[in-house]
Amino acid sequence: MAVVRLERITKRFQAAGPPAVDDVSLVIEDGEFMVLLGPSGCGKSTTLRMIAGLETITAGELRIDDRVMNRVPAKDRDIAMVFQSYALYPHMSVQDNLAFGLKRRGVPRDEVRRRVAAAAVMLGLETLLERKPYALSGGQRQRVALGRAIVRDPKVFLFDEPLSNLDAALRVRTRGELIQQHQRLGATMIYVTHDQVEAMTMGTRICVMNHGRVVQVGRPLEVYRDPADTFVAAFIGSPPANLLGAEVAGAGGAVAVRVAGRELTLPRHRAADLEMLESRRVVFAIRPEDIAVAAPAGAADGAGLPARLIAVEPLGAETILVLAPDGLDEEILARVGPEVALRPGDRVALELNLRAAHLFDPTSTRALPRSRRGG
Amino acid sequence: MPAPAVVLRTFLLIVLAGYTAFAAGPFVWVATMSLRTTTEIAADPYGLPWPLHWEKYADAWFGSNYDTYFWNSTIVTVSAVAALSILGAMAAYCLARYRFPGNRLLFFVIFSTIILPPQITIIGVFELLVDYGLYNTHLGLILVYIAMQMPLTVYILETFFARMPQDLFDAARMDGYSDFEIFWRIALPIGLPAVATTVILNMIYIWNEFLFAVVLLTDDDKRTLPLGIQRFMGDHLDDTGMLATGLMIAVIPIIVAYVFFSEKMIQGMTAGAIK
Repeated sequence: MAVVRLERITKRFQAAGPPAVDDVSLVIEDGEFMVLLGPSGCGKSTTLRMIAGLETITAGELRIDDRVMNRVPAKDRDIAMVFQSYALYPHMSVQDNLAFGLKRRGVPRDEVRRRVAAAAVMLGLETLLERKPYALSGGQRQRVALGRAIVRDPKVFLFDEPLSNLDAALRVRTRGELIQQHQRLGATMIYVTHDQVEAMTMGTRICVMNHGRVVQVGRPLEVYRDPADTFVAAFIGSPPANLLGAEVAGAGGAVAVRVAGRELTLPRHRAADLEMLESRRVVFAIRPEDIAVAAPAGAADGAGLPARLIAVEPLGAETILVLAPDGLDEEILARVGPEVALRPGDRVALELNLRAAHLFDPTSTRALPRSRRGG
Repeated sequence: MPAPAVVLRTFLLIVLAGYTAFAAGPFVWVATMSLRTTTEIAADPYGLPWPLHWEKYADAWFGSNYDTYFWNSTIVTVSAVAALSILGAMAAYCLARYRFPGNRLLFFVIFSTIILPPQITIIGVFELLVDYGLYNTHLGLILVYIAMQMPLTVYILETFFARMPQDLFDAARMDGYSDFEIFWRIALPIGLPAVATTVILNMIYIWNEFLFAVVLLTDDDKRTLPLGIQRFMGDHLDDTGMLATGLMIAVIPIIVAYVFFSEKMIQGMTAGAIK
């Protein structure tokens, strides 16, 4: 069990080049399941590899349980890692793969046998111990890789996109197994992924990264509901939030924005909070599930944004509608129930749940503050 | 099977049969001659080996100093191949897995020596061995063979080690293994097909090598097999029958080694061809 503390960590692969990880500060609490989430090349794997000791740290300080780890070799950090490719030793049996790390650490033979047997039972590998990795399925290999980490009983578990090589069904099942293992072991785990569904379902907290920097850290639903900037709003959520150019229209107490020629009053924003804006322009964001779609006849007169339905994408449990609001160049997406009577080309009226809407500064892309008690 | 496929298959079979006869024919001919006397061969060069003169193998082995030549060849070949495999693997591993300034330049320089024909280097090598007291010694010849075959060995192994996924090495580091242990316990066992390839290629070359051996060894009791075979070739008359017997004795270890390593060698040569 351990607390992992990153203090202003920076990584440069070339002295003159741009940093791969830029001034990252983050605390992973004891027993926490922290997910580092971001697109390819955002620095999340490099951050993980620095924690593991597989990459040097250019600047900043890494502490595990208050011990500075910058110059401590990987083998002495008491960390285990599960790799994207599983990295099983192909010439060794499952049993030898599991025991390899323990043997090196001088664990007595009986203890090695006991721990390997316990991990095999925990992960359902008892019948596979004599097999070589090539004779295992993807899911079995993944479990062996996890077992190799578990037998070590490390302070911290690191996972580098361990589910990305599995097919969709197996990924869902293994995700559940990993969550169970975390609950059972109660260990500190740091998990890297670019899959926001994994992040939302597995993480105690999520650390969203972009261009080598931490953009937002928080519980999954907090990050989903209150994205710190336009990148997070667009990255988290499937489909992502709709981001539309808008203009601040109101004055005095409440804030109104003009979107596609319509003035919309935002109940949770205060005019005073928008004073730092350089111009009157903002980015208006609304998630697809916060848009209700009605046939024009069903909408109250003059209410809602008129739009044309471009496409209907039924997904079984829900339907995604692609819409073109009048007066807007962008298309927007709405998430509605499974039964939809509308057809492409139909005219509709969009009802926006403005309590869930967000405003972002178009220059800094950061979210504009909003009142928790507002509305 | 449709008619065009039958025609194609028949054509391919004819081509393959022709190629096999072309490649194996001389070998089979020498094999038959090894069981015939020189007189029989002179009377009918392509005749069948009947009666079978197995005693010629014993004559060659005991009467023509072949046991000494065979033993000398074994010492030189095994020593050089062992050194090439271990040192070549280490050098290749280093070039494939470590980032350091000049890595590619060094690799290029090592590999570029492969373009030099042995005849160009032989005078220099001769002088060097004389200067260092290694002329007419097995150690000198072994060192020359190591130098000659190192570029190809490093090239084959470097390509193989470079293809190994980095995660494997990282996992071993996390498991607590040192760089040398990772090489010895992970990279080398996984690289065995490639190592087997270099073992068989080096073994064939060194076992059969004639030019350096004839220049660098003078004492009869230090000579290797190819030089021993030469003894059956006179200035005016060749003992063709014994020559063939000597050749067959010389080639047997290579065939055994090939059978032993061939499966691993094919794996090594086709590594990366399929995922």
